[in-house]
Amino acid sequence: MSGETGVATGGLVDPRLLEILVCPVTKGPLRYDRERGELVSEKAGLAYPIRDGIPVMLPEEARKLD
Amino acid sequence: MSIRTDIPDRDHPRAVLDAEGVRDAYRRWAGVYDVVFGGVSAHGRRRAVEEVNRLPGTRVLEVGVGTGLALPRYRREKRVVGVDLSREMLEKAAQRVRQEGLSQVVGLCEMDAERMAFADGSFDIAVAMFTASVVPNAKTLFAEMSRVVRPGGDLLFVNHFAAESGLRWWAERSMAPLARLLGWHPDFALSDLLDPAQVRVEAMEPCQPAGLFTLVRVRNHAAMALAA
Repeated sequence: MSGETGVATGGLVDPRLLEILVCPVTKGPLRYDRERGELVSEKAGLAYPIRDGIPVMLPEEARKLD
Repeated sequence: MSIRTDIPDRDHPRAVLDAEGVRDAYRRWAGVYDVVFGGVSAHGRRRAVEEVNRLPGTRVLEVGVGTGLALPRYRREKRVVGVDLSREMLEKAAQRVRQEGLSQVVGLCEMDAERMAFADGSFDIAVAMFTASVVPNAKTLFAEMSRVVRPGGDLLFVNHFAAESGLRWWAERSMAPLARLLGWHPDFALSDLLDPAQVRVEAMEPCQPAGLFTLVRVRNHAAMALAA
């Protein structure tokens, strides 16, 4: 685990998983922000956090975009 | 077949399960879940994964992956994604994936099974083991699983479904108000998950011990997702 966490904030997410993930609110596309370790839904104005390589796809846990 | 397929006549209150209640219950369960529940559910879990392994298609979704008890059983050719609402359970699953080097597991996500964050038709197979009676609304779970699986794919459920009649149905019904404490509906019936008049069940198989659990397989149909 310690080797992985340095690669991307929030931990590594398999590209095959990123490919099928959408925003649970809008079902629209997500942008992967590697530096912040977030999956950003511009349409919903929400950024879903990735914690220890596990995307947290819950609107109530997401950060609201300004 | 000893499980009831009709709509049960419930004559007393059934506690409402909400996402927060489910999460709280499984936070309490996380530490002891494998010990208390692992054994009794082992056969149903093994049978379900055998079915998944047998079916065509590699893209597999496990809804309610929990601590990942089933993950080591998937064939290496399968590409498994697991989702759960419980952070504590997922952390245990992630630990299992790392420790056992389970390369068939593509990833784990914290997600509400009734509102999944996957594009339509992302999977060939979706399997929910002991999950259908846990979510607040099983019909929504069914519709979501139907949406994220391609038309012609397979939906599998292993669950305890309420008995047709007799002492067991009476006991299950009596426990119904405890749902919020337990984290599942003891009186859960097949008709709570799907409409038997609309959905064709391909296979139904009782699982040990004593047929307490049933494995149900449904062929996914494009129209089902639209109906939801």
